[in-house]
Amino acid sequence: MKEMSKKQMADAVSRHRNGDGNPLGANSEIARKLKQYYDELVSDRVPDRFAQLLSQLEQAEPAQKKD
Amino acid sequence: MAAVSQSFKTELLGAIPSLRAFAVSLTQNADRADDLVQETLVKAWDKHESFQPGTNLKAWLFTILRNEFYSQMRKRGREVQDSDGIMTARLAVHPAQHGQLDLKDFRGALEQLPEDQREAIILIGASGFSYEEAAEICGCAVGTIKSRVSRARARLQEILKISGEDEFGPDAISAQVTGSNAA
Repeated sequence: MKEMSKKQMADAVSRHRNGDGNPLGANSEIARKLKQYYDELVSDRVPDRFAQLLSQLEQAEPAQKKD
Repeated sequence: MAAVSQSFKTELLGAIPSLRAFAVSLTQNADRADDLVQETLVKAWDKHESFQPGTNLKAWLFTILRNEFYSQMRKRGREVQDSDGIMTARLAVHPAQHGQLDLKDFRGALEQLPEDQREAIILIGASGFSYEEAAEICGCAVGTIKSRVSRARARLQEILKISGEDEFGPDAISAQVTGSNAA
């Protein structure tokens, strides 16, 4: 990917923060529904299997030491 | 192989809700989404050394999840939906009145988008990534993300029969009054 100049980067960040140049339109019905849809998914309770998985990975760790 | 740090593990745990949301958005299926998240966590754990501390872990994880999703799709021999190849108006959606758009209708409309457009609009409009980050995650140009988001938006408006809402939406006015942008 092409390198952006610092200025371009800063402009992009500020555009993003301000919601300008956002084809979604920060206040549009679609933007709000999209948020609602996604926030509902994010707030879904996380099943225990994931914490268990990370614990298993952690326990397996020392045995995995190679090189 | 260096041990996985506690902070890395904590951050992984913290990223799970976002990863699940993105996975559901991609797969449109809760079980497949959780398998995808599990695969992502294992991969992230295995290659934790390639993560550069101080950079965006969430973006890194989303990239892994997305790659995993497309590689699973390829393995299943399923073609990635292309923009023109989807069933149009599979759902009969009633014209939305302002602020009355049902979340169920919205979900149905989102499902009809081709994957590339759906992921772009989710990354930009919901997950809070910048265009640059989304481009990085999807391995494409910033302009490509922008055009996918535009097409996704136009498509959603078409399916949901919304038009010109920006100029006339009640929230455009309240946003001016408060001078802030709640998003």
